[in-house]
Amino acid sequence: MKKKLITLSLVVMMLPALLSAQKVVCKIKGSDTCLPLSQRFSEAFMKKAPGSSISVIGGGSGVGLSALISGTTDIAQSSRSIKMDEKMKLQDAGKVLKETTIAFDALAIIVNPANKVSQLTREQLEGIFTGKITNWKQVGGDDLQIIVYSRESSSGTFDFMKEHVMSNKNYAKTALMMPATGAVVQSVSQTKGAIGYVGLAYLEKGVKALKVSFNKGKTYTEPSIETAKSKTYPITRPLHYYYLGSIEGKIKPLINFILSAEGQAIVLKEGYVPLN
Amino acid sequence: MKMNYPLTKKKLFFAATFAFLTLGFTANAQETGPVSNPTDTIYPIVEQAQSDLAVLKRLKITGYVQADYQKADTAGIASFADGNFGSGINNRMLVRRGRVKFAYDNELSQAVLQLDITEKGVGIKDAYLSLTEPWLKTLAVTGGVMDRPFGNEIAYSSSSLESPERSRIIQTLFPGEKDLGGMISLQAPKTSPWNFIRLDAGYFDGNGAAVETDSKKDFIGHLFLGKASSSEKFKWGIGGSYYNGGFAQVTTNYYTMVKDANGVEGYAKSTVTKGAIAKRQYVGVDAQLSLDWALGITQLRAEYLQGTQPGSSSSNASLTAAMVGDTYSRKFNGYYAYFIQNILQTPVQLVVKYDVYDPNTDVSGNNIGKAVVAGNVKTGAADVKYSTLGLGINYRWNSNVKIMAYYDMVTNETTSLITTPSTLTNLAKDRKDNVFTLRLQYKF
Repeated sequence: MKKKLITLSLVVMMLPALLSAQKVVCKIKGSDTCLPLSQRFSEAFMKKAPGSSISVIGGGSGVGLSALISGTTDIAQSSRSIKMDEKMKLQDAGKVLKETTIAFDALAIIVNPANKVSQLTREQLEGIFTGKITNWKQVGGDDLQIIVYSRESSSGTFDFMKEHVMSNKNYAKTALMMPATGAVVQSVSQTKGAIGYVGLAYLEKGVKALKVSFNKGKTYTEPSIETAKSKTYPITRPLHYYYLGSIEGKIKPLINFILSAEGQAIVLKEGYVPLN
Repeated sequence: MKMNYPLTKKKLFFAATFAFLTLGFTANAQETGPVSNPTDTIYPIVEQAQSDLAVLKRLKITGYVQADYQKADTAGIASFADGNFGSGINNRMLVRRGRVKFAYDNELSQAVLQLDITEKGVGIKDAYLSLTEPWLKTLAVTGGVMDRPFGNEIAYSSSSLESPERSRIIQTLFPGEKDLGGMISLQAPKTSPWNFIRLDAGYFDGNGAAVETDSKKDFIGHLFLGKASSSEKFKWGIGGSYYNGGFAQVTTNYYTMVKDANGVEGYAKSTVTKGAIAKRQYVGVDAQLSLDWALGITQLRAEYLQGTQPGSSSSNASLTAAMVGDTYSRKFNGYYAYFIQNILQTPVQLVVKYDVYDPNTDVSGNNIGKAVVAGNVKTGAADVKYSTLGLGINYRWNSNVKIMAYYDMVTNETTSLITTPSTLTNLAKDRKDNVFTLRLQYKF
């Protein structure tokens, strides 16, 4: 009995030390698409591991990866794969790169709710975003000029849209480049002829998500977690955390938490697509 | 009536003291009135600091130091691994490069000054300004001392180069890499579909970063196309270069290669006007491939050049000062190829490089140095072809430090007709002129 009491006392005394060993102090910077998710991860983790301090900043995938290269962030959150030039810069600096996929995201094409167009093919989207199609009447809508809103070139979403929807063609010269996803949502909600693209988690009542067809109009699919999970929605992409091997041990509890059932439940709740 | 003077004085004293103290407190109370909002005080300070920082961020100071230890096979050999070894010397320590670069970037305008500081002295590497037009942000004009816009290896930063030195052909034709001149650059912004094309072209003195010695200006141009795959696993680049220039001859004798009546290649003299321009003309192609695969990032880089090079009887190198003596014109060719393998995600990088320079393609082997008919001049050491195989390993310690170990194996063309007692100049056999370089580089 005495032995049990001593053991129990030892465990109780060591508990704060054990908990604090799980604490993580780090900076996450980069993708605006990942931003809401990273914020929820950090809030939930900081509650579980007192003493942790995790700061989360947006700015775009390119900004996050630049910060990782220059050593001013611990984790670069990214909605695109790291570029070869970025990888070579890290290697030239003697840094070992690690990558973890944290979730998937569906890219939603959004228009103003007053727009009667509700579905477009990939070819029509390419035409609109490259500036070849300039009026909604050309795609079955009202006689109204199309105003294209895009993210800036530092955004992983900008790259993903260009590669997967626009066949790598360049954006229209008249496209308005917005610094953040929130700005795209706000602009589209306030402009009747506007069109833009955002991650699924940014959909709100002020904008309408279009159904998209990647088989020349045979079938159209609406963006949702279910269609992204079932891979019937064609514009989905992985979201990554990039970090250096030298801090892998330090942030392991956070990464383990994100990949756990609890972390993936947060993914689902925030409107992203879980890994499993 | 007797006045109670002392008491009055005391009362006066206390009254004055009381009044003084009261006034002091009142003044203090007025000074410490309602506290203003702290952000009203902080905001202008922060704004000023941000403004100052924005100005300071325009100036970037970077640089690197390369400290080498070198060991040659033979004391006193001629070498392209940072110059010849002194008489009787077969190993040395040196500061190969000590660069400091100041770059002021004001978005559409830029000024750059780069110095090289070593035990050999201080020299200018870059001193130029660049202006970009504000409308399309496609056209830039640059003037001053800058990299010659030819090929790939010239403009490749010496701090990033995977071998200790550039190829023999590049060092010979473009000593010091830099020249004094003016250049235009055309490249569309990153958001344009034409961003993968770049043209650099301009007119230069042709003497390197040195004072001009004649009125002839040399045209140098490079057209480059390059792209990465959408998966970012594969990247390619291809370029074409052209050099058209020359220098004013200081004598009336101009020698070109001919086959004489006996079928022997040698130099025949022709008479030219003093000051006539000796032609210097090159064409080049360059290509680069990068592949990110299971073993890590693999890079292949290659460049081929050919053309006409004016020199002297004993040298095929480009001038960095006024010509002295008669001009000898040679047709040349050469190339280099790099194979670079980054080992997985580690800091280790393996390098294999092969370069060839044939300064005179009209003669080879045992025909070099062969006697010619009277009036002609026989070929010599300046007409001998060299090939170099380099093997190296780089270790990127961190973002500042790189360690390089590299071995150059040099092979010269042999001719039984150029035999000398000294092994340093004898060309009957392959000279023992391999060089091992151990380099420590610190970059900031």
